[in-house]
Amino acid sequence: MPPFFKYKKQKGHTDQSKDTRDSENHHVPELIDPSLSVNLDIIKQKTGHSSDIIVRTIITGNTPLHKASVVYVDGLVDTQAINDSLIEPLQTNHDLLEMLYQQDELDKFTKEFISLGSVHPVTNWDELFLTLMSGDTIILIDGSNKAWSASAKGGERRSIQEPSTQVSVRGSKESFTESIGTNIAMVRRIISNPDLWIESMKIGNVTRTDVSIMYINGIAKTEVVDEVRKRLKRINIDSILESGYIEQLIEDQTITPFPTIFTTERPDITAGNLLEGRVAIFVNGSPDALLAPALFIGFFQAVEDYYSRYDIATATRFIRVLAFFISLIGPAAYIAITTFHQEMIPTQLLIIVAAQRDSVPFPAFVEAIIMEIAFEILREAGIRMPKVIGSTISIVGALVIGQGAIQAGIVSPATVIVVAITAIANFATPSYTVAISARLIRFLFMISAAVFGFYGIILGFIMLVVHLVSLRSFGVPYMTPLAPFIPKNIGDTIIRTPLWAEKLRPRLISSTDNPVREGENQKPTPPKSRGMKKKNTR
Amino acid sequence: MKRKWFLLFLILTTTSLISGCWNARELPDLALVSALGIDKNEAGKYVGTFQIINPSYVTGGLQGGGGGQGPPTTVYSSTGDNIYDVTRRLSTKSPRTLYYAHTNLLVISEDLAKKDGITNILDAFERDFEFRTTAMVVIAHRSKAEDIIKTLPPLDKVAAVNVIKTLKNTESLLGEEPTVNLQEVIHYLVSPGKEPLISGLSLKGEKKDAKKVTNAQGSSTPKARLEADGIAVIKDGKLVDWIHGKTARGTGWVLNRIKSTIVNINWEKEKAAIEYTVVRQKTKVTAHTKKGQPKISIHIHAEGDIGEVSVPVNLNDPHVLRKIEIEVEKTIKKDVHDAIHRAKENKTDTFGFGEALHRSDPKEWNKLKTDWNDVTFPKLEVDVTVEAFVRRTGLRNKSYLSELKNNR
Amino acid sequence: MEKAKISAYQLFVLIVLFELGSALLIPLALDAKQDAWLTILLGMVGGFFLFLVNYRLFHYYPDILPTEYMQKIVGKSFGKLLAFLYILYFMYMTARVVRDFGEMLVTSAYPQTPLFIINALFLLVIIYTIRKGIEVVARTGELLFFILFLLGISGNILIVISGIVDLNNLQPVLEEGIMPVLKTTFTQTLYIPFGEAVVFAMILPYLNQSKKGKRTGVYALGFSGLALTLVVAINISVLGVNLTTRSQFPLLSTIQAIQLDNFLERLDVYFMLTLILGGFFKIGLYFYVAITGIANLFNFKEPSKLAYPMGIVILILSITIASNYAEHISEGTRFISLPIFLPFQVIIPVSLLIIAFFKHKKKRGK
Repeated sequence: MPPFFKYKKQKGHTDQSKDTRDSENHHVPELIDPSLSVNLDIIKQKTGHSSDIIVRTIITGNTPLHKASVVYVDGLVDTQAINDSLIEPLQTNHDLLEMLYQQDELDKFTKEFISLGSVHPVTNWDELFLTLMSGDTIILIDGSNKAWSASAKGGERRSIQEPSTQVSVRGSKESFTESIGTNIAMVRRIISNPDLWIESMKIGNVTRTDVSIMYINGIAKTEVVDEVRKRLKRINIDSILESGYIEQLIEDQTITPFPTIFTTERPDITAGNLLEGRVAIFVNGSPDALLAPALFIGFFQAVEDYYSRYDIATATRFIRVLAFFISLIGPAAYIAITTFHQEMIPTQLLIIVAAQRDSVPFPAFVEAIIMEIAFEILREAGIRMPKVIGSTISIVGALVIGQGAIQAGIVSPATVIVVAITAIANFATPSYTVAISARLIRFLFMISAAVFGFYGIILGFIMLVVHLVSLRSFGVPYMTPLAPFIPKNIGDTIIRTPLWAEKLRPRLISSTDNPVREGENQKPTPPKSRGMKKKNTR
Repeated sequence: MKRKWFLLFLILTTTSLISGCWNARELPDLALVSALGIDKNEAGKYVGTFQIINPSYVTGGLQGGGGGQGPPTTVYSSTGDNIYDVTRRLSTKSPRTLYYAHTNLLVISEDLAKKDGITNILDAFERDFEFRTTAMVVIAHRSKAEDIIKTLPPLDKVAAVNVIKTLKNTESLLGEEPTVNLQEVIHYLVSPGKEPLISGLSLKGEKKDAKKVTNAQGSSTPKARLEADGIAVIKDGKLVDWIHGKTARGTGWVLNRIKSTIVNINWEKEKAAIEYTVVRQKTKVTAHTKKGQPKISIHIHAEGDIGEVSVPVNLNDPHVLRKIEIEVEKTIKKDVHDAIHRAKENKTDTFGFGEALHRSDPKEWNKLKTDWNDVTFPKLEVDVTVEAFVRRTGLRNKSYLSELKNNR
Repeated sequence: MEKAKISAYQLFVLIVLFELGSALLIPLALDAKQDAWLTILLGMVGGFFLFLVNYRLFHYYPDILPTEYMQKIVGKSFGKLLAFLYILYFMYMTARVVRDFGEMLVTSAYPQTPLFIINALFLLVIIYTIRKGIEVVARTGELLFFILFLLGISGNILIVISGIVDLNNLQPVLEEGIMPVLKTTFTQTLYIPFGEAVVFAMILPYLNQSKKGKRTGVYALGFSGLALTLVVAINISVLGVNLTTRSQFPLLSTIQAIQLDNFLERLDVYFMLTLILGGFFKIGLYFYVAITGIANLFNFKEPSKLAYPMGIVILILSITIASNYAEHISEGTRFISLPIFLPFQVIIPVSLLIIAFFKHKKKRGK
């Protein structure tokens, strides 16, 4: 009983305090006041006299004195541009303010004298703060109940750099930055087509983060676009700090180690996916674009596959899928063979492994787990560590854990080899997100192998497959086009058929009205060499 | 929903924890049996001799700690009333569980095979899920199985591997030892139309030294060594005869088991003057019945090269080659006839003529099946045709011997 | 009946996996000795006929499950009884196949592990799958079919190039005339595996293009029949008739006989993969059908909720149906083949079809 009352009391108390706080702020009216000083007071109060809110008041004219203020957030704007094209003209050209006071000439003012990008009137405070905080410059004029918001965004930003995680030898070398405008422009530069549509919204009650949906009208499925829009609109959260927030709030299945949304930092990957009918989501402040719907096989498609010739691309894809399998069941298979199925390896090999295991005090499972965990710690330490001491880690890792452990007879060399191969195989997956899930599932496989040998591994594998096929990403089955099997799209899965043979966009992902992506007979048909020669000699 | 997942997880983990790995066996707890020998002692009990691999001594002192040198294999033996009994009784002596999945060699002593036959002992091996039916079966010729198992050979550290390689080599280079595995032995034991042949193995040299590590390491000429020695003919599960040399090779010809062999032919009164190496051979055995009498025809096709000549002969001349071919055909035919004759004497159809008849004329076979070996087979008419071809003559055409002769 | 659709290709895959599931592993049709492969081909032809009977019935009632159309054909109460018997049959078969696979695993690889644990674990995975519905089962089938297909092809290639195939073992053909072959066909291969396809009567209503059902079913049965024929022929030609008949698992012995270059040998994992993947679908489909049948007959809204309780029933049943493997197998080949398979796989569907045929004729006549 007591806690109930307590709770109630507390609730009442907080309500009260909220009320008082609200009443403090409550004198922020909805509409902008004609008086400049009142307006400036409101701004100062609302922003808590923050030092980065710069207010410059200009007094000019003869009689009467005209007053106007330019308000902006320091660091979000291009100060140079504001000085040159806003403050300078206002100070030097006396007629300008005069013009501002005459309400009917306002349009003329913005059109003729302000050389900044977009200028539009603002009348209520909510909008004013929104534009101010997102980097616009506000012009307030004494006596007018209209404010002007001029776009002069600027400030320090990271420049476009080479991609750091999705590296490729061939292909464009630029990656997204933290600025959403730059990112969208980078994609726009690749797809110069009016059908590339962008919808913007602000998500995050406190952060007011810019989020944009990008898709190609006519190629993207309208249902998917609607679904994306619906799920984004549903989000009601105080902050969106990174695209990962959005991803976690809109994904289909939450209890899964597998990502159902694709992330990329490369504009060319984004463009390629948009052209297959996917929808991209950009979040301001995040150098990763989200792409949906994502397919499992998509995480094995490196961008270079499409730039290099198909035979080589197919071979590398095979390697990647193989590497994924190894990274999943490598240590598990080792455990199963050495503790359950010693009959399954050739005698000579068994003798070698047995000789190594003879002096090791632990069971194979414990040994493998120790090494795996040691490796995971090493990797985690490597990521979070200042770059300067990076080399220490590798020395400690290689010498102490590798050499030392073997020489002390705590682990056998065979285990170290298996763990090392698994680790390397794990790095061969092009997508970091899927590589992480493989890391996680590997431990489950190891446990099942330790308990039931291959029976456990195979049952685990069946569970994994069942789980994978039961996943969906924005309504599309995750394992498409393998299951459900779509023969026409099989050309871009584990194999990659030549570009001229992939006539259709992926079914189920792109719009069904417009499935063809290239003309007939795209296979190069060069003339026979003799014909070429003739032409040349003439 | 969450509770269900939790439940599933709970079931999974508890089952796996309770189950506690019934079948899990760590490698250091296993004694890998590489070869197994079966004898019978005076008291009429089976004696099993187990060659167990000592992994660290096979690979050498890799682990730093347990290095040093010791014998690569250890031998244990025990006695019992039947095979399973023998294997179980060994546990009183071995610190590790015996593990048979890598047993590649099964040695049966000659005495046992002659007196009691091999029929009674094979079931245990076939039934056991660990034991592989691909294990090779040999019979210890003129020695006990135990002695063979105990021998430490040079070259290959694991004795069983050494034996298997020796026998396989003999088969593929000389064609005299058609190796058989357990599965084949049982197959032929059961089949009334074909009797098994099992390779023989004997210990040559001083038996006392065989078990010493120095035998394998001490000197360049080991004092005791294992040799492929003849083929045992088994009838009704019992050893009835040993065949050697050319007879063995003749059997190989009929069985289509010759990968490569040599045929020495005489040339103008000179004995074994030309050596013909068989590179490829194909034998077809067909059976047909004529007026109720089964008849077997064997067709042998052989291709090969000239390996060596010790008489001056012009190998450029196709006529000469044709003559050589005819000689080769004759020699092979003789070997084959010798082998068949020997088998008929033993009243043992080791060639599978019965099976051939079964395939071509099942009705007739059903009539003759019961006393095929004893009545029909010894009287069986066998027709042998041989086709031999000399394909190449090596790097030289004429031998330098002909130059020598000219110079004289 | 859940709201789900499967494609014709998915049906094909499911039929093939179901047919091959256990038939690949057990000594099949070996009463006919070296003519076992012939028996399988004949059984396949019979299987076509039985499938077409079921398809015809599906054609008359394309939207409802057999448990429902039985009531329409022979009347409400009798139809319900019949449907109930079918559900019992499916449950019994689920338990049987679970036992089959458990026994195989215990004898071939896990001799010290209790059968109960092996079965329980297998059923747990199957329950997990079944709860996700037929669509997920079908998609899983597509992926794993691909893996099994690769295994089959590579296994066959290995067997052929290791040179252990001796076609002489398949001769003489028809040693004792056609009678033993026909007898084995009508006592064994017609029912296992081909007659078992009666479970697909319960799956057919999920097909998204019902017109393709006929062709798909016949193709799938044909494909699995040919694959089985090939495997049985290879088993016999590698092991010989005698050994094949004595083997509990001829395929395991065949795979163990592969020896290539001292390296590609001891490929038992092939057998285990085939065993578990095949068993998964066989048990899974029987189980699914039993559950949908119950849900349909007793008007359960959510069939997936039945999965856990039914799983426990089947687990207990699978342990208790026989006291040892020999008893289990002899029950399977002698006791149940005529009294159970014949009515459930042949007599009832055929008589249902005849009644349905006349009913429809009458309707049309009116």
